[in-house]
Amino acid sequence: MHISEGVLSPAVLAGGAALTAAGTAIGLKKLDYEAIPRVALLSAAFFVATLIHVPVGPVGLHLVLNGLMGLLLGWPAFPAILIALFLQALLFQFGGLTVLGVNTVTMAVPAVACFYLYRGLLRRGGTVAAAAAGACGATAILLSGLLVAAALLFTGEGFLTVARLVALAHLPVMAVEGVISLFVFQFLKKVRPEMLEGIYGPGSH
Amino acid sequence: MALGHIRHWVAAAVGALVSVVLVMALPALAHRVLVFAFVEGDKIQVEAKFVPDTPVRQGTVRVLEATAGRELLTGTTDDQGRFSFPIPAEAKGKRLNLRIVVEAAMGHRGEWLLKADTYLPPAAAESEAAPAAAAGTPAPAALPPGPPPTPGPSPEALEAALHRALERHLAPMKEMLAELSQRRTTLPDVLGGIGYIVGFFGLWAYFQSRRRNRP
Repeated sequence: MHISEGVLSPAVLAGGAALTAAGTAIGLKKLDYEAIPRVALLSAAFFVATLIHVPVGPVGLHLVLNGLMGLLLGWPAFPAILIALFLQALLFQFGGLTVLGVNTVTMAVPAVACFYLYRGLLRRGGTVAAAAAGACGATAILLSGLLVAAALLFTGEGFLTVARLVALAHLPVMAVEGVISLFVFQFLKKVRPEMLEGIYGPGSH
Repeated sequence: MALGHIRHWVAAAVGALVSVVLVMALPALAHRVLVFAFVEGDKIQVEAKFVPDTPVRQGTVRVLEATAGRELLTGTTDDQGRFSFPIPAEAKGKRLNLRIVVEAAMGHRGEWLLKADTYLPPAAAESEAAPAAAAGTPAPAALPPGPPPTPGPSPEALEAALHRALERHLAPMKEMLAELSQRRTTLPDVLGGIGYIVGFFGLWAYFQSRRRNRP
């Protein structure tokens, strides 16, 4: 999911940086005091999950957890992902500082989109909510893949070719993330319902 | 109530950290593309892999002139992540530094700078060896004032043979060096990163709390 440095055109890089700045500003505005530890925790989880690679398929795959982040955080997923990617770029030369904006957009926009997409269903409870949690995890990955393909569109690689490749390569990730999101959601609902206040609470919409 | 909240959060964070450390027993890898190029005879071998050890299959190889970025040739890696090409006559003649870029799918990319001095024999030696080695390529225009020709077994042939033997023996070591110079992700790096994240948000929480406490 991380696009390397030197691949994208300056226009795409600038656009990504601008979108990230806007998203992070909104995220920080919506980030209230009680939610800070939750954001930090998920940022750390994202930081680690995207480093652990399982050698499957052509490039090896890693979890992204952006669906789960969207589900639990909403807009603050932006600063959470930005900080984790910033540290990965600094510490591991993973991604890169110039692509930081684009990489944040490709992972954080699906998180926020899925938050709004599935919030209505998640509030209903029961099987519907469980299914929605799973779908949220899977959809976020799919959207991320499409955004990566869109960013690469301007480098000459055909959108459909890349989109198909990214989508195919991430089918296993979609499945795994769907299951993870489902179980985390069910678990938190039983054990720590206050963690789901992003969905139910009036604070974030 | 806020305090109770925080205690829960600390417990959850510690739990997460412990599970992270357990998971980290698995190798943590980065999706970085490692490119390595070396000369073998009059060909340049390029090897590309995802760190640590998955070859880049069907990656696009672009050979650029290092300073101007002009493209000299392109190619595709095979299933072992290798690609080889004869040293371009132009690169040989002008002693160009080559930047070899490998683009793997989905925006992954790596590059390697191959300096002229590492893939061509030193300038003085080349002027003697080049005519013998490559008949097709034009020899450098001006011959520097070399040592007077020595009798006995031709020194050029000796030099060329030595050069080849050394290359053969040094290639694996160069590859090892390339791998070593590539920083691996280690557990302390990851723990440090988590520490930074906690610190950043702690700082944010600190300023938020000051704002809240102010009447």
